[in-house]
Amino acid sequence: MQSYQLPHFPTHLSCVHTALYTDVSESDLLRKRLITASTAEGSTGERERDAVNFAFIEARLITSVEHLRTAVYQAVLAAAQGGLRTKTVHSEIIWALNPSNNISEAMRRYGVSDTTASLVVVRIGGPELLAEDVERDMDAAIKGIKAPFARLEDLTDWTAVKKYHKLGNEVGIREVKDNPERERAVVDGIVVSSVAMKSVMG
Amino acid sequence: MASASLNLISGATLISQGAEAKVYKARLTSEPSDPAVLLKHRFRKGYRHPTLDGSLTRARVAGEARALLKCLRAGVNVPGLRMVDAVEGVLGIEWIDGQSVRKLLPGGAGEDEDGASEDDPEDADSLNEYDIPVDILMQLIGQEIAKMHLADVIHGDLTTSNMMLRHPSSFKSRHPTLSTELVLIDFGLSFHSSLIEDKAVDLYVLERAFSSTHPDSEPLFASVLTAYEQRMGKDWTAIGRRLDDVRLRGRKRSMVG
Repeated sequence: MQSYQLPHFPTHLSCVHTALYTDVSESDLLRKRLITASTAEGSTGERERDAVNFAFIEARLITSVEHLRTAVYQAVLAAAQGGLRTKTVHSEIIWALNPSNNISEAMRRYGVSDTTASLVVVRIGGPELLAEDVERDMDAAIKGIKAPFARLEDLTDWTAVKKYHKLGNEVGIREVKDNPERERAVVDGIVVSSVAMKSVMG
Repeated sequence: MASASLNLISGATLISQGAEAKVYKARLTSEPSDPAVLLKHRFRKGYRHPTLDGSLTRARVAGEARALLKCLRAGVNVPGLRMVDAVEGVLGIEWIDGQSVRKLLPGGAGEDEDGASEDDPEDADSLNEYDIPVDILMQLIGQEIAKMHLADVIHGDLTTSNMMLRHPSSFKSRHPTLSTELVLIDFGLSFHSSLIEDKAVDLYVLERAFSSTHPDSEPLFASVLTAYEQRMGKDWTAIGRRLDDVRLRGRKRSMVG
């Protein structure tokens, strides 16, 4: 797990904990659990929501650590300004990643699905939230193998990324299509910038 | 409590200030490994009504961000976006390690835009360091502007100060013979247009910038135009003809009658 701070934000939003899991199994059960937890009532509901209080992100659609951090930054900024478009800062990260304004589409594509095999998990909190506790809760919620973020780029499904961002016909992509390494760098550049400017996309 | 973006700025290093915005170098996270970003803050203008000020600022931040993304999609070398806070008027842009073309060409190094002399040793980079002959640099400029115009983006303020070369030490070139890359910056005055007039005026503004900043630069600008012409293909004829008209009358069209 990797933790870092956003020192310019109000303390309850200033700590970010992120982890990458590969070989994730039972993602269908995880998805069902999230849906049940969101509507469960009483103290059981509270406990369940606490146990899965993370952003679960489809890792094959993340192109780089910078991509993830940009989405986290914009989501936290929206939360700090009282400008969340979704219910929580965690769902806002998923919303920020999707190019369109459709929330359920964002959840379907960038959230956990029945076929998810690798996951990026994010928890935003304050300094009172200890990294060990976050890591323990993440491990308890996910069946998979924790991996370093250096592996992220091998897991990326570039075809799906290009499709969702409608990059197939862009001049910038067509010029570099013979050089996969260069193409990936160009796609990553466009994707990171799209996430950063989503709030003013219009 | 001050907003997050203002907190960010208060800890950032001021790079330069204009009438419209201040530019800073900052870090968005606590991670030392995260690259620095350039912050462009369109600060509040006390001389405007607050409501008007807010909506103008939001529109301009959004416009600049959209122009950059449009250029990226069209394969124009421009810095990427890192954060946008339209409420506070802050744009976070990829930090480009390098030097402005103005300072690398003869005549541009000695003085700043307002004529004050500058003797910051850090700005003493020479073209040798970038390992690029002047004529190749002019070609890159022409090509980059052509790519931008083919995407119907008009820069609005093309000068040698608004072009940078990436420093070879921090740039992984994928080009066989070049160790640097030309990047167009500052899209604060840019707009979308497919009009020949707007493209010709964009070139004219650059021509004037060359001749007023760099002595004896006619052959330099001529090779910029040659490369532009090659890249534009059939669109060049009309733009070239219009550029001749613009040279005779200046940037503004006469509105008589």
